Amino acid sequence: MQAVSKQTRSTRGASRRFLSVEQENSLRDRLLARDERALVELIDLATPWLLGVTQSMLSDPHEAEEIVMEAFHIAWKKIEIAPDAEGGLMPWLLRVTRNRAIDRLRAHRRHIVKTKRAETYADYGERVTQPLEPNEAGQPGWHVHDRVQAAIGELPHEQQKAVHLAFFRGLTHSEIAEELGIPLGTVKTRLRLAFGRLRGALGSLKDWLV
Amino acid sequence: MNAHEWYIENHTGYVARSLEQNELALFEEHLPRCENCRKAIQEIERDLSWLPMAVKPVAPRPGFTRQVTVSVLDHDVRPWWRRWVEPLALAAMIGLAIGLGVTSRRSGALSSKLAVATEQLDALSDTLGIMQKASRVLQASIKGDGYEGGMMIFADNASKRWKVIVHGLPTAPAGEAYHFWFICPDGVVKGAEVNVDPTHPAILTLTLPQDFGPVYGASLTMERLKDVGSTPHGRELANLTL
Repeated sequence: MQAVSKQTRSTRGASRRFLSVEQENSLRDRLLARDERALVELIDLATPWLLGVTQSMLSDPHEAEEIVMEAFHIAWKKIEIAPDAEGGLMPWLLRVTRNRAIDRLRAHRRHIVKTKRAETYADYGERVTQPLEPNEAGQPGWHVHDRVQAAIGELPHEQQKAVHLAFFRGLTHSEIAEELGIPLGTVKTRLRLAFGRLRGALGSLKDWLV
Repeated sequence: MNAHEWYIENHTGYVARSLEQNELALFEEHLPRCENCRKAIQEIERDLSWLPMAVKPVAPRPGFTRQVTVSVLDHDVRPWWRRWVEPLALAAMIGLAIGLGVTSRRSGALSSKLAVATEQLDALSDTLGIMQKASRVLQASIKGDGYEGGMMIFADNASKRWKVIVHGLPTAPAGEAYHFWFICPDGVVKGAEVNVDPTHPAILTLTLPQDFGPVYGASLTMERLKDVGSTPHGRELANLTL
């Protein structure tokens, strides 16, 4: 576990507090034991990342907050089914959040909004290479963000776009084909190649929450 | 491309949730039957589990994390069935305990009744235990001519037992019976016959089959008594997938 994950501080860097290794290592165990302080720590650590996921997928920031709140309700209620350290508490929470966001997207049939937002982010490949602000680099989990960004950055630009639309905007294959004006088969090929490379690059990452 | 190659080619689409609705339905139908695909998908999910962290973290607005904490801790997260089952069961247990206390003081000759009541209390505690610890609660509605009932499953992974409740169904026609089945990777495993009484729910406690791999779901069928065997032949009334 890298040093950066030993501390917790707000995204704005206004306050800072430290978790002992022992505390951090037992977060999942303490959640299982219904330790409310563990829940507070989890919310502190994970909220910025979960909000990042939901705000990237949903156009309404209030809905994005709702989904994050739902994810924590699920986490508190069903912590016993969360994978252990090997599977990862944080990946589970990310998956729950992303799935809820996609459910919300599709329930509301916001295709038009999604595609419009997709246009806004057409320059995603350039955007992700912007330098990081110093206070962001202190965010727990930032090292994982860096690794994932680097892995995406290694992909050809057209594969980055396809991954972005499928994974971070929640579009289906046919919606991506329509959005990019390319055949459906090409979309599937690009995504298959991209996810194959990403698996190789990200498969070894471990949970920083534990 | 044969049918199975299509599934293999779309594993990542399934994990990314970028399949179309009809393709997704095909996958959901295929997965319980295909261990290779299930394993492959688990591996992809694990390998890509960090991908959502490509997004930049967003600073929560002031007070949001506190709002989340208060909401999670204050919110009555118990599902609707627990809201009435738990108080009801608690009241029943207290009543039973008081009754037992009074009864035992009145006469030692009532020890046999005490034993019966204790068994009932144990059964009630066991029922409540499964419901409280259920990691999944599933329900399906069953509609027919003049009736509307359903099937509920409280799946307790820890004890590997299910509490199954079937309610609102008419009595089985002469020569037929309701049957409950477990859906496993290699097929369907017989659960139990369900004796349905239209006026009361039928409640069963079933231990999951051990030698057939993980249980993926359950099915309720109407079987002709003369046809009942190790696999269902009759009409399926409800189907639930975990």
